[in-house]
Amino acid sequence: MSRSQSISSQSKSLKITGEEIWKNKVEKVNSELFNLTYGSIVSQLCIDYKRDFKKVNEQLFSMGYNIGIRLIEDFLARTALPRCDTMLRTSEVISKCAFKVFLNITPTVTNWSQSQDTFSLLIDENPLSDFVELPMDAVNQLWYSNILCGVLKGALEMVQLDCDVWFISDILRGDPQTELRIKLNKVLKDEIPIGED
Amino acid sequence: MGIHSFWIFDRHCNCIYDREWTLLSNSGSGTINSKQNDETAKLLYGMVYSLRTITQKLSHGSMKNEIRTIATGKYLVHIFCTASGLWFILLSDFRQQSYSQVLHYIYGHIYVKYVANNLLSPIDFAENKNETRGQGFRKITNRNFIKSLEAFLAPMVAK
Repeated sequence: MSRSQSISSQSKSLKITGEEIWKNKVEKVNSELFNLTYGSIVSQLCIDYKRDFKKVNEQLFSMGYNIGIRLIEDFLARTALPRCDTMLRTSEVISKCAFKVFLNITPTVTNWSQSQDTFSLLIDENPLSDFVELPMDAVNQLWYSNILCGVLKGALEMVQLDCDVWFISDILRGDPQTELRIKLNKVLKDEIPIGED
Repeated sequence: MGIHSFWIFDRHCNCIYDREWTLLSNSGSGTINSKQNDETAKLLYGMVYSLRTITQKLSHGSMKNEIRTIATGKYLVHIFCTASGLWFILLSDFRQQSYSQVLHYIYGHIYVKYVANNLLSPIDFAENKNETRGQGFRKITNRNFIKSLEAFLAPMVAK
């Protein structure tokens, strides 16, 4: 009982932390500008890869990865959070702090696997795809916001969590909701200097 | 003299920045990223590493227990570890007890700004497997980083 209470009070304080940082410590930019910038990146990639959407997905992912490994430092400096000891905690930090601070949204955490190592984020208002309609040939292949998967993968790897991150549905594709799945492969070991083991 | 030296270690156990002041009167004196400090850096890393392991072993409950300061007869060692595996270490005299704000500022406003957000600077200072586990030699050489770090720490060097 007391354990579940302390977990719920922890998650409440994470919510407050996220909101406070968003309010006081984050410079705001026009979301439409952000939206259009991202749109022009994706459309340029579609041109560059001659509408080979599989390659576009991969490229978006690797761009995201490169952002994530740097963005994590910014995130940790803003929030001063320690490492998470459970995936439950990780999921709360991602939805209540990380998404809040950088995109001002709070995705819902749901669909936990039995082993508590896989969960989904439901992104109701995806700021990346506000005015977007996918053309017919892209509907079944392009994951428009795939950059988010890369960002999460890169950022989690920097805190020693080796994860797989992928979309399983997207409103843009006609699905009822946008769902992003995160699966923990393993917790990486911290390096130790040679000769210490 | 307030602070004696400042060090940054990355998650590959490498020292990626070192700064040592030698003259009380001159905050510009001393060395930056000196080869001579390699051995000291390794010893310092080892000391913090061992004590960090012990503090985490001796912590009760689930919350992680991070080491903050080590006191010796002559100086204080202030340690700030991030979740991403960076260690910021400052050696000072006994005049001021806590430098955690200072180290946090260096991380958030100098390191993040001039290294993490600088796309032309490497974020990982080990380029291949041979440079991990304490065998790396690359250092932070960004001019803006060094300049603003110097400006920020200079007032704490002189008495």
